Amino acid sequence: MKLRVLLAAGALALLAPAFSGDRFWLQFLGKAMITCIFAASLDLLVGYAGLVSLAHAAFFGISAYLLAGLSNQLALVNPLLTLPICLLAAAVAALVIGWLSLRATGVYFIMVTLAFTQMLYYFFNDAPGLGGSDGLYVNDRPRLGPLDFADRPTAYAGIWIALVVTYLLLTRVLRAPFGRVLVGIRSNEQRMRSLGFPTPRYKLVAFVIAGALAGLAGYLDATLYGFVNPAQVGWRQSGLLLMTVLLGGKGTLYGPMIGALLLTFIEHYGEQVTTHWNAIVGAFVIAVVLLMPRGIAGLLRGARG
Amino acid sequence: MAEPVLETRGLTRRFGALAAVDGVSLAFAPGEVHAVIGPNGAGKSTLLAMLAGELRATSGSIRLAGRDVTRFSPDRISRLGVGRSYQTANVFGELTCRDCVWLAAQSRVRSSMSFFWPAERYAEVGVRAARALNACRLADRHTTPARELSYGEQRQLEIGMMLATEPRVLLLDEPLAGLGHDEAKQVIALLQAVRADRTLVLVEHDMEAVFAIADRVTVLASGRVLETGTPGQIRLSPRVREAYLGNEP
Repeated sequence: MKLRVLLAAGALALLAPAFSGDRFWLQFLGKAMITCIFAASLDLLVGYAGLVSLAHAAFFGISAYLLAGLSNQLALVNPLLTLPICLLAAAVAALVIGWLSLRATGVYFIMVTLAFTQMLYYFFNDAPGLGGSDGLYVNDRPRLGPLDFADRPTAYAGIWIALVVTYLLLTRVLRAPFGRVLVGIRSNEQRMRSLGFPTPRYKLVAFVIAGALAGLAGYLDATLYGFVNPAQVGWRQSGLLLMTVLLGGKGTLYGPMIGALLLTFIEHYGEQVTTHWNAIVGAFVIAVVLLMPRGIAGLLRGARG
Repeated sequence: MAEPVLETRGLTRRFGALAAVDGVSLAFAPGEVHAVIGPNGAGKSTLLAMLAGELRATSGSIRLAGRDVTRFSPDRISRLGVGRSYQTANVFGELTCRDCVWLAAQSRVRSSMSFFWPAERYAEVGVRAARALNACRLADRHTTPARELSYGEQRQLEIGMMLATEPRVLLLDEPLAGLGHDEAKQVIALLQAVRADRTLVLVEHDMEAVFAIADRVTVLASGRVLETGTPGQIRLSPRVREAYLGNEP
């Protein structure tokens, strides 16, 4: 109950900058909230289904690039059209990649998802017309009647709504019978099978849900920044996100979100202090993982209990 | 004998040059407790894993209620009414007893692939889970995480999880292994209680228990069926004595 109050307060606090109009904070916190969505969607796989996937950046990138394509090539700017199309594309990609990778388990699963991420990275990097390593601009951002998402406060408000909806949706799914099955699979997959659950099907559905939400994050990112580039698709991005989830505390949903906010801040202020800020992040993550295996969320839980 | 509920024909599993199970043809009648015994390495656990769909047969076939299930996956076999327990207690350590049987019960309703309503809304699952928890005599421990139970209680919980799936056939791999005398008595009493209307296939080392609860006994040696008969026949069989019982201290 206390947790809910804290989360609601945090969500309201994040809404405040939308009215301030400060361009820096809107972009900075907007990006942080997108990472929250991205990290929470990965937590569904890592923290609940026990699937460590490095393919997550791929779905983010597919959706972001597709938004750029729809806008630049087809002049589609209505988010009521582009959002479902982009999410569907990410979901279909997750269905195909998941269907193939879930044949492997453990470290082999991780390697197969890594291979897919890299394939897509090189595709976006090398395919003609996609702008190479510079990426693409989204010429016209999503627009709906009086709402123009090129306008930062509007984009920010949209991201905020997406974050709240994502969180509520994921908590709902996890409390439903489906969520219980995922936890059972993480705990003891062999037993789940001998109890009659066709576990591959459940894992694939989780993979597709998570992939679609990663696509949502990619869509919002391309909307906020107005450009996409291959670096967002690569394994480095996937790895960083995995670190975010572990730092925040997997299997809690809110933990990875806190991790995402925290890392965004460390990255920003670290950059001002030293160009080697990545080393600071690295040391921090190592310390957290070694000293608090349940991440920041574990610390919060400990304090409550 | 009545139409067998579970039947194997020439069932064989090879690991390289070794035939762990070698041409086993057995029929399990509805309602019987059928023990499978034999020295270490006789192929008992391999046989059970094949019946549960966890190991593919190299050759031969398995029929369940007249249907060929030789190549079925473990989850499909389970949904056809076959429950399974393992040589060491195999539960969901981090979940509470109630959640363990809940999951097992949930496997039998069509609502498992549902995303919207909280799991507690599915009352039929709760009813089944509560019934199973009572049956395995762990109702008073329902909030205890499974890993905190004693080993004997974990075995009880495993049987409870199996019962929550309401199976017609139970495949039990050494349900008494690792149990103290009193715990073993508990589990034997539990097995006596659940045997009504069900077929039990029981792999067990504890001879006393086997002869007490089994209707029929099959002796495996080196992957082959040495003999099948009532406990009395098996006890008196010279071949069995030579191959197996004679070696027991």
